[in-house]
Amino acid sequence: MTALRNHNCNYISNVKINFKFDGKSYFAYEGDTIASALLRNNIRLVGRSFKYHRPRGIYTCGIEEPNALVQIISEHNEPNTRATIKRVYDGMVITSQNRWPSLSYDFGAINNILSPIFSAGFYYKTFMGPKGFWKNIYEPLIRRSAGLGKPPKNFRSKSIHQNHNTDILIIGAGLSGLIAARKFVNTKYKVLMIEQDSFLGGILKNSNKVDTINGLNSSEWLEETEKLLSKAQNIKILRNTLVTTYNFTNHFVALEDKFAGKKIDLNKSELTLHKIRTSNTILCNGHIERFISFRNNDLPGVMLASSFEKYIHRYGVVPEERPVIFTNNSSSMSLLNSMLSLGCKPEAYVDSRKNEEIETDIKKILKENNIPSYFEAEIEGCDGNKKIEKITIRKGKIFIKIKSSMLCVSGGYNPDIHLFTQSKGLLKWDKNIASFKPDTPFQKTLTLGSVSGNYNFNKLCDEINEKLSFLNTAKLDFEIKLNVSNKYSIKELWETKSKINSNWSKSFIDLHNDVTIKDLKQAISEGFDRIEHLKRYTTNSMGTDQGKISSINSLAVVSKLLKKEISEVGTTTYRPPYAPLSFAAIAGRSTYEFYDPQRKTSIHSWHLKNNAVFEDVGQWKRPWYFKTHDKETMHQAVQRESKMLRENSGILDGSTLGKIEIKGRDALEFMNLMYTNAFTKMKPMTSRYAMMLGEDGMIKDDGIICKLSDQHFIATTTSSGAPKVLAHMEEYLQTEWPHLQVYLNSITEQFSTFNISGPKTREIMRKVFPNIDFSNEAFPFMSFKNFDYKDTKIRIMRASFTGELGYEIYISPKYGLELWEEMFSCGREFNLIPYGTETMHLLRAEKGYIVIGQETDGTVTPIDLNYNWMIGKNKKDFIGKRSLSRPDTSREDRKQLVGLSPINKTDTIEEGQHIVELNELPKKIKNPIKYLGHVSSGYYSPNLNHSIGLAMIRGGKNLLGKKFFVTVSGKTKNIPVEVVNPVFVDPENKRLIS
Amino acid sequence: MTEITSTSGVNITQKYYHQIIIRGNGLEKFNNIIEEKTSIKPPLKNLEIKYDSNYLFGKNSFDQWSLILITKKDHQQILNLVSSINTNENMLASDYSHGQAYFEIEGENKEIFLNKLTHFDLREEKFPKSTMAQTTIARIECSIYNLGNKFVITCNKSYEDYFQKRLKDTALLSNAS
Repeated sequence: MTALRNHNCNYISNVKINFKFDGKSYFAYEGDTIASALLRNNIRLVGRSFKYHRPRGIYTCGIEEPNALVQIISEHNEPNTRATIKRVYDGMVITSQNRWPSLSYDFGAINNILSPIFSAGFYYKTFMGPKGFWKNIYEPLIRRSAGLGKPPKNFRSKSIHQNHNTDILIIGAGLSGLIAARKFVNTKYKVLMIEQDSFLGGILKNSNKVDTINGLNSSEWLEETEKLLSKAQNIKILRNTLVTTYNFTNHFVALEDKFAGKKIDLNKSELTLHKIRTSNTILCNGHIERFISFRNNDLPGVMLASSFEKYIHRYGVVPEERPVIFTNNSSSMSLLNSMLSLGCKPEAYVDSRKNEEIETDIKKILKENNIPSYFEAEIEGCDGNKKIEKITIRKGKIFIKIKSSMLCVSGGYNPDIHLFTQSKGLLKWDKNIASFKPDTPFQKTLTLGSVSGNYNFNKLCDEINEKLSFLNTAKLDFEIKLNVSNKYSIKELWETKSKINSNWSKSFIDLHNDVTIKDLKQAISEGFDRIEHLKRYTTNSMGTDQGKISSINSLAVVSKLLKKEISEVGTTTYRPPYAPLSFAAIAGRSTYEFYDPQRKTSIHSWHLKNNAVFEDVGQWKRPWYFKTHDKETMHQAVQRESKMLRENSGILDGSTLGKIEIKGRDALEFMNLMYTNAFTKMKPMTSRYAMMLGEDGMIKDDGIICKLSDQHFIATTTSSGAPKVLAHMEEYLQTEWPHLQVYLNSITEQFSTFNISGPKTREIMRKVFPNIDFSNEAFPFMSFKNFDYKDTKIRIMRASFTGELGYEIYISPKYGLELWEEMFSCGREFNLIPYGTETMHLLRAEKGYIVIGQETDGTVTPIDLNYNWMIGKNKKDFIGKRSLSRPDTSREDRKQLVGLSPINKTDTIEEGQHIVELNELPKKIKNPIKYLGHVSSGYYSPNLNHSIGLAMIRGGKNLLGKKFFVTVSGKTKNIPVEVVNPVFVDPENKRLIS
Repeated sequence: MTEITSTSGVNITQKYYHQIIIRGNGLEKFNNIIEEKTSIKPPLKNLEIKYDSNYLFGKNSFDQWSLILITKKDHQQILNLVSSINTNENMLASDYSHGQAYFEIEGENKEIFLNKLTHFDLREEKFPKSTMAQTTIARIECSIYNLGNKFVITCNKSYEDYFQKRLKDTALLSNAS
């Protein structure tokens, strides 16, 4: 049972490298996968199964591997890596998974002993009660034991995305893919060819089936083809890239391992996620060999026959000198040839077909080489401790036991239909190959070669020429000569009967999910006779494996149990991804510092230098508050900023405010329709606080409208609402009022905006702009003016969101920072401070000003806010006007804006809390408690020295002076409050218009 | 001009241009006014661009144009041009000069490089020379102008820092593709 080396294999170098598996050092050759390297070192036990923790070995030689999943410690702990795909490199450190304390002695193997209770539907039946157990016991326990590998920690992937747009996408660079690609050499088509292996050639390298192509031996033809394709300007080939997803429409996702066979360089991207859009798709992704279910068909040492052959040719390793071959079809001829050419003789050949069904060539080889042969026979089962030791053959009523450590199984070939079905293509059952094959494509999809169910090499060229004829490419003829018979024959065999009726001996139908034939039978007996229900009840063909080697077998077994044709049972849906993708690959660079695009104002660098703490407003980074020293808390900073502003002056970077320029012959009419306010009598060069409603009458946005003339306006919007408001306006212009001649431009980014306010603001403004008259008479509240500033213009508006004397300054971002610094230079003697959004919120709440999205939530009208004065009552129409007179919007008991003041001035009113009539809540709430409203804003006012609140309360306008209670988070005792006018500071507006 | 980064076959620079966004009906009178004010005939076909060493004029949509002035000008000149266009009742011109960031991407691998940041189809037959498009690059809204030997990309100034970092990061990680 020692692995041999096939020295005729040219694809593996002679350079020896070392790697570690479960702490032990082993050798490999450059080019080996983990699996081929482990087989080379005679390692058979590689992992433990998902549910029963049964010992598992290497079953396949490709992406379809259900067993050999390992954890790559040297690659940031990457779990669940298929050992059959991942190439080994010098110094690689690998461990097995899902075992404790060791692979050989796994405590979890107790599940195998307890397996009779873990039958199909175990979870559904077991974890039903008692009440409370699920949350406290079952779920934590299941979560702890679930999964195979452990997720990586402390790893910052640098995987990137690459988009492609192409005319032709060829998936698979095997024989059919390469012939198809040759047809496109130097044509007008842009072609992208994707191969999951690091080599092109597929079957030409994986077996010795093909002898010559057009007189050249297969490797010479391959070399010629590779040269031809690499020279073609219109063809690009991606190696080490696996197509995982076929989306609508002709959109693909493929994952490229940039460091296949190499140690990852942490400074470079280790993975590239390719996102491909193509006009035509050519699937040449071949076939997958399937297994046969028999007793203990999961023991390490059981391997698919074509995989065994692939190890010989592709990796130059003969896993076992004398394996047993078990088949139901003619494909094993190739394996027999390969082994005999290396001087290896199978221990036995078992074929379920009758003598007369078996090809003469096979029988001749068996006879000439004295290989014990058993026709019309089958494998009853295998036995052994963590590996095959004994194989039992049933021939009629006779049982023959053979000692061997490997069993090569071939249950036939399935076209690899996963991508085709992901594209929503329809399948049909083909009795000749005993499998489903592509029938009707849903997208522009072609299938060529074995994926289309064509296993006949001599018909390959005709198929390709015919199917690609619509693209008007030149006809190619290749004469393919084979070393084996071209005829593919198969006799259906899905499971064999076990003579041992034991709970510990299992016949698996899905190795990846530990589903047995017995589970399928039980599920059907319990009424799950629809294949999709059965799949979910048993977990058969689910998860990351998607039943690559097992799904057709399970359909066949189910059809037999249901006494139906397989075509009647149908297939389940193969879901993307074809093979697992790491989240790092999906996320690409949209992580950490690039998690979300960031927008910064022209003053951002100043804010950083002055210890601003930022908050995200949409994608904007806005100063939340400024720290004067490291230990200053947010509360302290906001209290300080608020008090300083009310006493002196403060300035806010308001550049993020949305700004829209509106111009055109009908601009006045448009503005009258868009906003509730009346703009007709508004004087040019004045501004107005305005409100925009939806058609339901609910507030959408607010802002200040500057009227330059009846044909020209500038509107400001909320920071996060700017794109929505512009889109809203454009939509109405283009769909509802196309007769209006009005044009809009977003000018948010074209101006840096500062809001300066406080009692000393006028002095500062006079110092900064000495030539401008800021007196009340010359510059009254809600007026604005344009001035020259260097080589640009500046607009100053008298407005305030704090309730203090204030101005808004709009300047080109070119001079934003410069002017900001100038303001501070001039404002130093007046104790000018910068303030952030949190202080802005506190100050506006003191003044009773609302914030869209805080006081409003899509259910609030201007009348609810007592903003009736903003509604142009004589206007003919505006958006939402009719809705304001609906019975519901004019109800007296709607939630209306009020102020809240705590009775006990040391109490704190918290934002978001409920307003109720009870002074204390019961510990257990049995009956609904009458809800009066909620606190929309709550702050501690340093200017009033107590907490204040704005609230939306039912019928609030008529409740002034009433006493209610506000709930407190985490407590049952509520705090008493009085309903007051929402304007806490300067209700006479003396400060505002001073 | 500021050199942002370069990698194999790709060179990225940041430029400082002036820009005016013009809205109007695109009829003859509109075209005549624009030509009179700018001495450039506006492009007539949707997404078409006209350019020389002094300007780049693109038709963004059926009623919107972007005029990028490549040669350095006094900002007041731009504002005067904007005011002059705005004297016409049914046209809107807005100054976008300093609210936008401008990047130029040149080199034989510029399409492959950009396709790391955008799904947009940059193939000649889909995005021919002398056309423009509005799409997302690095997840932000951008305008991209195809000048044949290079792409000019504009985005909102507020994204400038983020966009620069994404370009540099992509160049750094572009290993052998």
